[in-house]
Amino acid sequence: MSEPSSRDTRLERDPAERAADHAAIDRLTDELLPALIAKLGATGLGELEVREGAWRVRLRRPGGPATRDRRSSDRAAERPTERAHSASSRPAHAVSHGTVRSDSRSVATSPAVGIYQPRKDLTAGARVRAGDRLGAVDMLGVAQEVVAPIDGVVGTSLVEAGDAVEYGQDLVTIEFGVPTSTNGSGPS
Amino acid sequence: MFRKVLIANRGEIALRILRACRALGVDSVVAYSEADRESLPVGLADEAICIGPAEAQRSYLSAPAVISAALVTGCDAIHPGYGFLSEDEGFAEVVAAHGLTFIGPPANVLERFASKAGTRQLLGAHGLPTIPGSEGMLRDDQHALAEAERIGYPVLVKPSAGGGGKGMRMVRTPRELESVLKVCRSEAKAAFGDDSLYLEKWLDENRHVEVQVAVDRYGHGVHLGERDCSVQRRHQKIIEESPTPALSPAARAELAEKAVRAVVAAGYENVGTLEFLVDAQGDFYFIEINCRIQVEHPVTEAVTGLDLVTMQMRIAAGEPLGITQADIDFDGHAIEFRINAEDASNDFRPGAGTVERYHAPGGPGVRMDSHLFTGYDVPPYYDSLLGKLIVWGPDRATAIARGRVALEELVVDGITTNVDIHQALLASETFLEGRMTTNLLDRVGSAAFLAAAARV
Repeated sequence: MSEPSSRDTRLERDPAERAADHAAIDRLTDELLPALIAKLGATGLGELEVREGAWRVRLRRPGGPATRDRRSSDRAAERPTERAHSASSRPAHAVSHGTVRSDSRSVATSPAVGIYQPRKDLTAGARVRAGDRLGAVDMLGVAQEVVAPIDGVVGTSLVEAGDAVEYGQDLVTIEFGVPTSTNGSGPS
Repeated sequence: MFRKVLIANRGEIALRILRACRALGVDSVVAYSEADRESLPVGLADEAICIGPAEAQRSYLSAPAVISAALVTGCDAIHPGYGFLSEDEGFAEVVAAHGLTFIGPPANVLERFASKAGTRQLLGAHGLPTIPGSEGMLRDDQHALAEAERIGYPVLVKPSAGGGGKGMRMVRTPRELESVLKVCRSEAKAAFGDDSLYLEKWLDENRHVEVQVAVDRYGHGVHLGERDCSVQRRHQKIIEESPTPALSPAARAELAEKAVRAVVAAGYENVGTLEFLVDAQGDFYFIEINCRIQVEHPVTEAVTGLDLVTMQMRIAAGEPLGITQADIDFDGHAIEFRINAEDASNDFRPGAGTVERYHAPGGPGVRMDSHLFTGYDVPPYYDSLLGKLIVWGPDRATAIARGRVALEELVVDGITTNVDIHQALLASETFLEGRMTTNLLDRVGSAAFLAAAARV
């Protein structure tokens, strides 16, 4: 019987303490974690640990060589999901979900709602630089350019030419963790 | 009727339109911005499409994005809701040019009523008394000062486009006028994409009474009674009720009949609202027409039993009204409380954040139209309306009693709302006696209402 009672006391925590914890979680998810992920990605370290107040956050690569996940745009809509995960008291865990989701790649997303047309000469394996035009989304007759978010190699097309796409939709993956041997060798 | 409707709005009105589409058996697509991905209308939609980023200029206010979304999802009509593109005649025209139907007045009708000054002239010619105002739009500050001098202070600076109190200021001196013109222009530009302003004579003790009309394509029109929207702060309505406690039944009937006769004669089409100021003597002056569904339409639905959104869709689809004035019964009294994310004790500062717990009140004569749910993140990009509580009773006293109970029962934890000020108003004699005037809340200050309620 002692267990339930100790649990009850935990539930009836001081509101101020609760508020402080919530604020700490928000700070973690909004400020700290994105910065840490970027840092981990940039350094090539295998693990990072940060302590703040009573919290400890550890980020670890899911094994193997450098794996990164970046988007062409910071999608605000993804933040609530992250927060929902972290609110279940496993902030570090939630982040590792994100990194596992896709390896060594970034995604070019749609700049508008409309009909997608890839660049005619766009082929998988072609080398692109950040800002290169990959295609366009026709929004009421006006072509909105789809551009490569990073330097890399064109991967998979996630939609077909002529498909209707929405704003922010994933269109083409850009691989950037590819071995240097494909450098300059064109489509493979 | 339409096959599939694009809902080009957000929040509670997107939900309201979604429900209307379902009631009519019409498919719908909810168009949303990235900030609304986790919203209730998107979650409940049969189909949803992201049209742009959080910034309204690039999503809900982007005509190309909205129309493109309608085309790629195979819609044949667009419902604009209120605000955003709902009264933009240019948008309505482009919608029609793409073979889609704009759910609202046709573009040529919107154009006829687009200028507020022009509309006053037009409806004035069809028998509505109008309030003195500037001749056309204000060309520059010099023109504004000259016109204000001619009309006589105090005057109200109003934007030609839009509504909702944005870009609107009451001024009592030339100096005040000079200082607000720039702010009004930039507010109007930001909210409606149009910075033209005009002036209107300000009546110090006035009530805001508006008449709801519905007119079909064949020139058949009815009125659905009036709503009293005198409880305002900074020209934003916060409580609306019907019937108005300010006018006798005979005066109300006269006002409503004059209004519907004038708009039918002027060639209006679809649902619309004619706004009037009523002075201390009970004289009324037409001020403007709203060519859209309004936030406060449920008040009218409660006393007439009609569904205004499906009516709006039917008219836009070319169906005849199918009812005459004699078919419309007015029953009881309804009051709407706008639940806003704002802090009444802190100068109505707007708020955003996570709704930690939400519970909607219920019971006889209680309706809650809201897009809230427990865990919802209220985004900071849009207006502060969280929902509308509508109460109905066979008489005003019963409606007020039900309103008290419902406001007490409503739970919105995690966000500061204006529920306190509603409760304070329901405890104030001025409201209970039906004597609220449009500037009372601003003049007396909400703090005074809150303090008075706390003493009771």
